[in-house]
Amino acid sequence: MSEVLLTINDLHKSFSTPVLKGINLSFMRGEIHSIIGENGAGKSTLMNILTGQLYKWEGSIIFEEQNYSPTKPSDAQLFGISSAAQELSIIGTLSVAENILLRKLPNKLTFVSTSELEGKARYFLDLIGLEHIDASMLAEHLTLGESQLLELAKALAIKTFTECKLLILDEPTAALSGPQADKLHSIIKGLSDDGVTIIYISHRLEDVRQISDRISVMRDGVIVKSSSASNLSIDNMISMMSGKPFLGRSDRNDNQIYELDSILEINGITNKYFQHPISFKSRKGEIVGVAGLAGSGRTELLKALFGLSSINTGTISLITNDSSEVIKNSRQAVKLGIGYLSKDRKKTGILAGQSLAMNLTLPGLSLISSTAGIIDSKKELEVTQDFISKLAIKCTDNTQSIESLSGGNQQKVLLARWLHCDSKVLLLDEPTRGVDINAKHLIYNQLNNLRQQGKSIIIASSEIEELTNICDRIIVLSNFKLVKEFKKECWSKNEILTAAFQEFTTSKSVVNPQNISKNRESNHVSN
Amino acid sequence: MSPIKQFRQHIDQYFIVASLIILILFFGMLSENFLSLTTLSTILNQLPSLIVVTIGITLVLIVADIDLSVGSVLGLSAAVVGISVVGLGLPLPIACFLALAAGATCGLINGFLSSYFGLPSFIVTLGMLEMSRGAAYMTTNSQTIFIGPDIQFIALPISNTGVSPALVIALMIVFIAHFILNKTVFGRYIVAVGTNDKAARMSGIDTKYYKVVVLTLSGLLAGLGGIFNAAYLGAADPNAGIGLELSAIAAAVIGGTSLMGGRGSIIGALAGVLIIAVLQNGLAQIGVAEPSKRVITGAVIIVAVLFDQWKTKKGALN
Repeated sequence: MSEVLLTINDLHKSFSTPVLKGINLSFMRGEIHSIIGENGAGKSTLMNILTGQLYKWEGSIIFEEQNYSPTKPSDAQLFGISSAAQELSIIGTLSVAENILLRKLPNKLTFVSTSELEGKARYFLDLIGLEHIDASMLAEHLTLGESQLLELAKALAIKTFTECKLLILDEPTAALSGPQADKLHSIIKGLSDDGVTIIYISHRLEDVRQISDRISVMRDGVIVKSSSASNLSIDNMISMMSGKPFLGRSDRNDNQIYELDSILEINGITNKYFQHPISFKSRKGEIVGVAGLAGSGRTELLKALFGLSSINTGTISLITNDSSEVIKNSRQAVKLGIGYLSKDRKKTGILAGQSLAMNLTLPGLSLISSTAGIIDSKKELEVTQDFISKLAIKCTDNTQSIESLSGGNQQKVLLARWLHCDSKVLLLDEPTRGVDINAKHLIYNQLNNLRQQGKSIIIASSEIEELTNICDRIIVLSNFKLVKEFKKECWSKNEILTAAFQEFTTSKSVVNPQNISKNRESNHVSN
Repeated sequence: MSPIKQFRQHIDQYFIVASLIILILFFGMLSENFLSLTTLSTILNQLPSLIVVTIGITLVLIVADIDLSVGSVLGLSAAVVGISVVGLGLPLPIACFLALAAGATCGLINGFLSSYFGLPSFIVTLGMLEMSRGAAYMTTNSQTIFIGPDIQFIALPISNTGVSPALVIALMIVFIAHFILNKTVFGRYIVAVGTNDKAARMSGIDTKYYKVVVLTLSGLLAGLGGIFNAAYLGAADPNAGIGLELSAIAAAVIGGTSLMGGRGSIIGALAGVLIIAVLQNGLAQIGVAEPSKRVITGAVIIVAVLFDQWKTKKGALN
């Protein structure tokens, strides 16, 4: 534990502006070292340097007493540095096994030996808790959570051709449910006991505090604190990351201002996912939470509400003052005033390569154009400037290309899309996934404002804490069945989790909800 | 936006135009006759059909599809003009209308099959390439139909101006298309669909509809190209436009249009057409033989795309 594996000395890196401003940091052999900081603090840049994806920088990095300056990812792998990145690098058209062992496919005279390949892959799949996945299936059929675990298996598979000494995990639990995350944490602990150094990056601070030996806090391109994990409380960490004292949770106004009129009525819908009919209502001025474990149908439900999947029976109707319209497809949903934020920003959210302005105004173009369909560029500029300041979007100007913004700022732009359209109903799937604490609070406050303006918000989240904090009502899905509906303050995390596990207890992975909920409770004291 | 950045953007935008001017000056210095109004007018009046076809291709590429059938559709449309005027004795405006309708129908079929049946536009338009060429041979009995001065006036310079009606129409379409692409909701939507089809759909855009419209426009413009071609030759040649799709794609790409969708420029496409035309005519004037001309043209296409990619990468880093 006392031996130094990696030392970073006065590391500087600039793009157009300096991003890393003199990083000094050491990593011990076999330690779990977390790096926390807001989005844009420079964590990903630092990791991209260590993994050889960025190579023009100043300073020095010493790895096992050798000078380390990688120029490509395979250099890093030769040194025994492996990473499972936040952005997935899974190739959907290859099998799960091929993805895991892509760097070193077992072969005889260049012919890939399938049995050997799948045998080796099996070992890693079992190791990370994907026992139920067939190694020969195509990776594109995995859920997002499973893909994230596969990414980890890929990182671990570096062992098959070189010793893995340093493993970098960037937001590894973002798409994982509680039990999956717990499993991941026990794997990490095991690896560190074997002498592998782990760099762990996560926004889930309680997880960070529990599993880390050491925590370093980054802010604006410098390390503001590096200390042993037991010396830091969550409030400490938050105030050091933001540079401001911790102000407590989102200052929410609890006045019951909502009218009792329902605006979205879901009447007994079934489709290829939901065999049991689902019915519920959402009202004006109300935030409804959709809770459930990973793979219990949260995303599929929101997609169905937005008209993205065909419905076998039942109806989804939007009630306005004098009429009720049945939603049949997403185009109509948008027209009627429903907005949707998908879980996967990159694939189904942003228009990569296009400007911030174009991304923001896309669904609401008709509001800033003439009847002949000509865009009023002055109005467009005004609208984008207005939202940039309202939502504190960090950018150089509205022509900046969207993918150069940080994840949290991209999410703000996507939320602004629907605010601009003045949508009456917002369907939000994991709106704070991979978003830093300050941006999270900004989004919470914004949702609360919208609620007070009489909007109806339906939000799906894997973090129960998040839902109990901001929702007026929570519905719980378990294995694609709506099992329970909780009214405000008539819930406990324990009850929600018990409901979420209800339909899973008959499947092969029998989990005792009581144990898990205790576990979860201790994991989510603060968020 | 800072003035420096604005300036840089202008340079990026007009780089292609600057290269065109440099190319013209280059041939002007090497060949005495090149920089004369007659030469330039001759070159320009060959181009209307390629210009309109390239605009169609550029829109199709922006929406992340491809249209390989434009050359054959042009041939079919020329055949329709020929058979209507000569065979059926119809007045020219009606013949032209029928030719445009034939082009638009081919495009509509392309768009419908690729959007609503989920077939790759590469395959659908490859099939259409064969079918419409076959149809062109069938309508003309594989013979060139002589039409004569009735139609030639469209492609001949208007007295004293050096510019033909066809060129005027083609340039008007360039400006209209440029305006539509950059200033209208329709243009914005096709860029969005080409950039990220799924994200566009989730913003409430009927992506299939826009793909069909763009492929139909491409067919329509190929139909117009057929009229211009028949006018230029004074005859309907069923072999007209063979290989034209590749010239049009090359011109679009030289003009900065991405084959991956979401990025393209109409003015750039026009400049691309002009660069290819100036290069071919200029090389001919200074006595370069046809085989070497092709080698050089091919190299220019590759270098243009290389440079464009380098520019985009640099832009993304800043």
